[in-house]
Amino acid sequence: MPQGALEGIKVLDLTHHIAGPYCTKLLADFGADVLKVERPEGDPSRRMPPFFHDETDIEKSLLFLYLNTNKRGVTLNLKSRQGIDMVKQLAQESDMVVENFSPRVMPGLGLGFETLRELNASLVFVSISNFGQTGPYRDYRATDIVEYAMGGLMYIFGTNQGTPLKHALHQAQFKAGTDSASAALMAMYHQRMTGEGQHVDVSIQECVASGLRDVIDNYTYTGGVRRRQPNHSGDLTRMRATSDGYILPNPGITARMNWNAVVEFLDAPELDDDKFRTASAQLANAEELGEIMDRSFLNKKKYDMFFGAHKLRFIYGIVQSPEEVMTDEQFKARGFFVEVDHPATGTLTYPGAPFNMDGTPWEIRKPAPTLGEHNREVWGEKFGYSDLELGQLRAMEVI
Amino acid sequence: MTAPLAGVRVIEMGQLIAVPWATKMLADMGAQVIRLESCDRLESYRTDALFQNSVDGEFWNRGGNFYEHNRNKLGITLDLSQPEGLAILRDLISIADIFVENFTPRVVKNFDLEPHSLREIKPDIIMVSSTGYGYTGPWANFGATGPATEGASGLSYMTGYRDGPPVMSEIPYTDYTSGEHTVFAIMAALMHQLRTGEGQFVDVSQTQATSVTVPEALLDYAANQRIAPRVGNEDSAMAPHGCYPCSGDETWVVIAVSTDDQWASLCRILGKEDWLKDSRFADSLSRWQHRLDLDTMLPAVTREWDSKDLMNRLQNVGVAAGAVMDSSDLLFDPHLLDRGFYELVPHDSSTGMPPLPYASRPWKFETTPPVQGKAGPIIGEHNKLVLGDLLGISEEGMTALEAKRIIGYAPTNPRAVSRPSPEEQVRLGRMQRYDADYRERLNQAYGSG
Repeated sequence: MPQGALEGIKVLDLTHHIAGPYCTKLLADFGADVLKVERPEGDPSRRMPPFFHDETDIEKSLLFLYLNTNKRGVTLNLKSRQGIDMVKQLAQESDMVVENFSPRVMPGLGLGFETLRELNASLVFVSISNFGQTGPYRDYRATDIVEYAMGGLMYIFGTNQGTPLKHALHQAQFKAGTDSASAALMAMYHQRMTGEGQHVDVSIQECVASGLRDVIDNYTYTGGVRRRQPNHSGDLTRMRATSDGYILPNPGITARMNWNAVVEFLDAPELDDDKFRTASAQLANAEELGEIMDRSFLNKKKYDMFFGAHKLRFIYGIVQSPEEVMTDEQFKARGFFVEVDHPATGTLTYPGAPFNMDGTPWEIRKPAPTLGEHNREVWGEKFGYSDLELGQLRAMEVI
Repeated sequence: MTAPLAGVRVIEMGQLIAVPWATKMLADMGAQVIRLESCDRLESYRTDALFQNSVDGEFWNRGGNFYEHNRNKLGITLDLSQPEGLAILRDLISIADIFVENFTPRVVKNFDLEPHSLREIKPDIIMVSSTGYGYTGPWANFGATGPATEGASGLSYMTGYRDGPPVMSEIPYTDYTSGEHTVFAIMAALMHQLRTGEGQFVDVSQTQATSVTVPEALLDYAANQRIAPRVGNEDSAMAPHGCYPCSGDETWVVIAVSTDDQWASLCRILGKEDWLKDSRFADSLSRWQHRLDLDTMLPAVTREWDSKDLMNRLQNVGVAAGAVMDSSDLLFDPHLLDRGFYELVPHDSSTGMPPLPYASRPWKFETTPPVQGKAGPIIGEHNKLVLGDLLGISEEGMTALEAKRIIGYAPTNPRAVSRPSPEEQVRLGRMQRYDADYRERLNQAYGSG
């Protein structure tokens, strides 16, 4: 049977919330052996909405269930001396530790990189934090919106005269999880080549600030401070409402080369007029152009327009709702959505692989762990704690 | 100590962001990235966002968006429409570890560069395709832009002001999201190659790589048949949680409060202790229920504050807050300066451009440093190095290739995008302002500008 691309990489996962768990999910879904260590009350993301059937239950947070597939899960109290010793034991036989505590926590627990390196010289130690392990903001707090603001994405996002906006949900955290997984593998590559481990410091703020086209260069090249862009009503690529949703028109160079094709596609003969034919004319008569376009689009259905446009090689885009994403024929043909069976929810449809690899499968081998699910397997079978000792550890609130 | 990816060779047939951003990261970390360009079909980023808006001379070697995404790469020109050009590409692939491209399958097929063809050239090649909707399936040959894949992924549908339409990013946001996943994909394939000696084909759908980052929305529909409404900057649990105006023109602060302690600290810093007695805001649930009231009350108070001052004061008492940073805030931010996030990168002397700061990488490696930054190639810069030294083509051979226009050193028909004057840009609302002293400020902070 073909193995995952990351088969043989052992990851000790001390992460919580989103950024860290997404990093280790990527590793686990592509074959790494990931052991997730949770605090005895569980990863805080177990308490994040939305919940399966809206039942507020630590086994039913949909975000947690998604972020922790393919991991084994144990609980451990990192505030106990015994807990610290057990983490050290695990770190000794891991290739990699991933953590996303605030920068003072791991050294404070006696689990800093310097300490663990002494136990395992080839350990790759990945720290993910809001602003990095160094610098004046290292202890600052952040949530996704703070990262959007301080990473520079928010100032240029939203309507020209409106309040700066962020994307819905937790995009900065996912960016950081992805970048961390990449960095982790770069360090692993070096480790496999040389046997040397090292510390990798990922800043979520910098993950956001790494992807800003036309912002920094505007300043360094011209002194310009780019703001949220205006969007004139005659803009040919402006998002338009259809009778059933929204579409993202883009006639591409055809608008310049063959305006008649655009007129015909929009079925709007009144656009067959020199006052709309060139880019400067379109700008000069933007309002009238916009009104005609709005009317034309409102008479049409978005998928009809989308597929019609692509027949003509206009690179139209379409705004799909979650329901439409889950039923779209392209995702279906690619087998993107997968069924995952979890004891608390039964079988549920999850988003699947971010990309397809033809030699090494992406697969869900097991659902997210229930709290402490693998305590007996890991502490008992691997570390030789008897049932009695496990009971004692539980009583002492170590696990 | 060498960079971690030293010895890895990548051939890139990329354009714009999705692939170039990913290979820039690999190049920074030591991979040798050889990037193909066409003199006939010049990449549009070469001729836009020009240094000092100057369209004089070889302006195509002064494009800001090109340099943002191509640091530390080797650049060659190659006309793939001529069989000899294609043969050179196949020779390069035969000595590469990775071939990565972001064209539609139709184009890839036309050039006979499909995975099975590449395996005949190099059995253990890693081929990476990045397309809008994926290499397979009924939408495979649909051209796509960043906004299109953002729309298709489900992300746009969820994003926008309360009761308003979806709001799109103004940069090709998903190019970065998919680029981030492409770096990971390449590293995963490389780890497998290192362990087993096997290459493979990696098929990145930019839409798929974005849909995996909105699981809450997709699973909420799968489990509960619910589609949450667009709610601007509101959060599903925290309140206040939003973006509020500050004292300067176009300055803003974001504030996110989750606990009672943080709420009390916020009220104290803002001098609004009376809000602590307001029963609407007595606990986190009640604050969340009255979040729209909070969003109405806060601006009048935050307007009295400088955004960075308020950020620092709130952070000092444990409240998550941040100034909404524009480009100059980012470049001169004490924290990012301390971390050296923007890296001074020298340009080819023919461009007349001084070394300038560019965003580096979101990670720092303790022992294996990135390579010393060098700007992306001027067009055809490494023809000799790659075709001559690496492939062993003789000087006469190079001259013949140039005569046949298979390689070249200037675009065939370049057209500069001339941007409006600074005054006009400000009047149109595209730019907030221009700093007359920007070079002085850059010089002060970075020693060059």
